[in-house]
Amino acid sequence: MRAFIAQFKRELRGLLLSPYAFVLLGFWFLLNGFFFAYLLRSPAVQNDLTLLPPYLFGNGLLVWLLLPAFPPLLALKLLAEEQRVGTLEPLLTAPVRDAAVLLAKYLAACVFFLVFWGGVAALFLVLNLHGAQLDWGRVGCGFLGAMLCSSLFLAAGLWASSWSGNLVLAAGGGAALNYMMLFVPSLLLDAPGRVGTFARAAYLPGFLDQAFAAGWIDSYAIALPLVLSALFLFLTWLRLAARRMLA
Amino acid sequence: MIRAEHLVKRFGDLVALDGVSLEVRPGEILGFLGPNGAGKSTTIRILSGWLPPTRGSASVNGHDLVTDSLAARRSVGYLPEQFAAPHELRVGEYLAYRAELKGARPRMARERARAVAEELGLSERWRQPFGTLSKGFRQRVGLADALLADPPALLLDEPFSGLDPVQRQEFRETLRGLAARGKAILFSSHVLPEVRDLATRLLVLHRGRCAAVGTLDELQRKLQRSAPLRVLARGEHATERVTALATAHGFDPERIEAATGAVLLRALATADRAALFRALAAEECAVEEFHTEAPDLEQLFLLLVREPAA
Repeated sequence: MRAFIAQFKRELRGLLLSPYAFVLLGFWFLLNGFFFAYLLRSPAVQNDLTLLPPYLFGNGLLVWLLLPAFPPLLALKLLAEEQRVGTLEPLLTAPVRDAAVLLAKYLAACVFFLVFWGGVAALFLVLNLHGAQLDWGRVGCGFLGAMLCSSLFLAAGLWASSWSGNLVLAAGGGAALNYMMLFVPSLLLDAPGRVGTFARAAYLPGFLDQAFAAGWIDSYAIALPLVLSALFLFLTWLRLAARRMLA
Repeated sequence: MIRAEHLVKRFGDLVALDGVSLEVRPGEILGFLGPNGAGKSTTIRILSGWLPPTRGSASVNGHDLVTDSLAARRSVGYLPEQFAAPHELRVGEYLAYRAELKGARPRMARERARAVAEELGLSERWRQPFGTLSKGFRQRVGLADALLADPPALLLDEPFSGLDPVQRQEFRETLRGLAARGKAILFSSHVLPEVRDLATRLLVLHRGRCAAVGTLDELQRKLQRSAPLRVLARGEHATERVTALATAHGFDPERIEAATGAVLLRALATADRAALFRALAAEECAVEEFHTEAPDLEQLFLLLVREPAA
């Protein structure tokens, strides 16, 4: 446990002090600010501000464009960067389990991603300060869904990051994987039989749109990203074990 | 104590290690020699817990590196050939983090990091980011990292690479001091004088196999017969006569010393020293020297790695 905490602190501190992470954060705030302002100009939202959370966190640009791309860009710092610089060998020969190292890295990245969401939350607070009446239940549910989704995309990014010391490949591979998780089910939603059933069961934007952003919490919608995240963490652990065999 | 028995490591069809066994006792410094690709780094990486062996077993302080990996890794300090730390971290931060990672409580970790940094002359670099350190200081940080948990065994892969002569001298003294405190040290190096000066025993790897192991004296005695035979004769055309007779008696004239005219002969399978000596006497060559010299470490290394491994 002590080793896990040490690694968690190191990763979180590394991200908090990394200029790269803050450049990412800057772009994230900029693009989200733009989307937010764009949505606020919409007559429907101006008439009914309760529509803002579903438009932002649901089936919109944030989910389809930004969310799959940013977590892998952050996750490349976790393993690909270590491989590139040559610090992975000293780390994994220390008396600490690979699983503890991975979990510490992943949780630190998830915690750091809260800063990303904090910026979006600040936009809602500013709106509230200007007297806007918001449905905070919907806003909170929207945030929960988006955070679960970003945790899943971070786990996928971590897996992609474990494959190579090439940062472009790690980020590109992770983003491609995340886009596939969104697009492949969306293309198969109307497919007949089990394929269609499976696609509908794995269609994340649907859950974000119809469950979280609509203001209610579905246990399946919570379990899906958590189970998929666990799967990607397990795959990353396997990848590290295989890397030891082949290094 | 570091122990490996019949280690085999395959990477696909490539056999990197083929039955390597070794033992390093407390207080001993084992110098690990071998040409590039001999399997030195692979052996050290197996002993560090980074790579699993394909076959065979390895243990540190009685803990098997596969079945009891965490305890084994706790017992060993490892300095990789290309040691690297996060460039943005300061020396003190890095060492404190590594001490915590190795199980120390945060306050103890900082104290331990300070103590090791002081011991290795890193106190003045405590607040300097790792990325701005010279190669020599980076190696010291790597050694400090290896020493943080005060392990009974140390594995050092090419620890002298990139160090200047002063740093090498200091590094040697540090390692001697650690051995005197009872640590079992295994280090690999291409720098033969370093190995000669520091190692209490040598192990020469060649093509993934153990070509020789022992003290320098033991290896010199063992290989003396393989060393070139030095024949110095006086008289008219002495060199030509020696060369011709040697060839006739199963020797391959390796070279002629320009300064003395002595002929250095490599013995072939059919070589017969006694017959050569009798032939030289019969030819009335005034033989002044007829002996093999104990090979120095460089000759010894070349003798071992030129021949196929036994």
